[in-house]
Amino acid sequence: MNARDMRQYENLRKQLGPVPRPGLIVLDVRTTQFVVVELVLLKALIGEGNPGLFISVDRPHQYMVHLLDMHGIEHTSVTFIDTVSQFSSSDAHRQARVGFFKGPNNIDTLPTALREWSSEDHGFDLAQCRFALIDNISNLLTFNSHQKVQRFIREFVELLGDRAAVLLVIDRQRSPNLYHSVLAMGGTELRLEAEMCNGNGEGSFKDSMTDSKEGVDHGRQ
Amino acid sequence: MEGNEMDRAGLQRIPSGVPGLDELIEGGFPFPSVILVSGAAGTGKTTFCLRFLCEGAARCERGLFFTTLSEPSHWMLRFSSQFDFMRPEYFGDAIVYEDLSALLRHGDQDKLLEAVDRRIAEVMPQRIVIDPITVVGEMLKDQYRSFLFDLTNRLKHWNATTLVTGEVSPGELYPPEIAYSVDGIVLLHLTEEYGDRRKYLEVLKMRGTNHSTGKHSIDISRKEGLVVLKARF
Repeated sequence: MNARDMRQYENLRKQLGPVPRPGLIVLDVRTTQFVVVELVLLKALIGEGNPGLFISVDRPHQYMVHLLDMHGIEHTSVTFIDTVSQFSSSDAHRQARVGFFKGPNNIDTLPTALREWSSEDHGFDLAQCRFALIDNISNLLTFNSHQKVQRFIREFVELLGDRAAVLLVIDRQRSPNLYHSVLAMGGTELRLEAEMCNGNGEGSFKDSMTDSKEGVDHGRQ
Repeated sequence: MEGNEMDRAGLQRIPSGVPGLDELIEGGFPFPSVILVSGAAGTGKTTFCLRFLCEGAARCERGLFFTTLSEPSHWMLRFSSQFDFMRPEYFGDAIVYEDLSALLRHGDQDKLLEAVDRRIAEVMPQRIVIDPITVVGEMLKDQYRSFLFDLTNRLKHWNATTLVTGEVSPGELYPPEIAYSVDGIVLLHLTEEYGDRRKYLEVLKMRGTNHSTGKHSIDISRKEGLVVLKARF
């Protein structure tokens, strides 16, 4: 992590506190920055060892585990739920406590599955979870209707929301409907440190993307 | 799936930085993706890639440049700094330069993949360049195809757009070993016409993109590096 990432980490840690407040939390992040922000966010969430869930819906869990390992972030308190694939086509194996789920198009059944998995036998106790972070929830819209994704979020929050923080990282400009529906469900916004890019490769989180449907730059200031 | 209720976002795209190219590919390269930039010597592959990384750096997207040529960064910068778009201050934090040649000499694909993975995890780039990938084939020999298969799979999951360059012999369009596993192929042609050498760019493949077909004339200028000209052939 460079100095920018560490500033962002301090900012998020300050907002989250030592134990994250239960409920639905949303962050507006550019898609290109998801990986960096999720890593920094996980570091802040884990803190001194808060138990939590990391649910990957976009890429195999090994990649986040690798990042955590590389950046020296202890993750034994985190359970990874991989909805992408049981066997990644690459052989990038990483050691982590992980459960596999039957694909992102069945995501609406995940809350029930988690309830069933939660037992001492599986070494995973939902009641102990203090946070759940879902990796790129917008990607679910590729496989599911907006209504189905909304329903999943609602049920997931019902499952965890009174005892754990449920964090969603969404690019508001790319998925405005999803972002606003999360806010309508009572989600609170976590603010990232706003930095402007000065053209020297310093700073962060200035929008640089174009949307293929509109073909225009979206400046996010 | 509930077809008519779908609310899919379009593919995320990042500007290539190459003037004139983005309008041929619906606004930029898909993010994430792996793109092969193929061409013979002198067609501008490295210049293309540097422009891509500098564009990212100017937008606060981190870049990682893997060279397989055993070329120190100051040597590469010595030539590339002749371009106006190049800012040496990018190299360091905004664009990290990594020489893979020492590992390549050992010819161990697992160690090479591990080194690439490790560096990507450290830097967490949004833009990656591997220049040139074809040198790896000469070093790894029998392991090359499986290496490329694993490499491209991993790169797709690192949430970055990666350009890999492929050197080809005269008459060859692209290195066939890697073409099947990439999401896009950009060809840089160098042809002799009326005693003069002319350069063209052609987008041969770009998944999820209604891209332009045909050859587009290109020029390499001090100011902007590689530029796609308006005329189409």
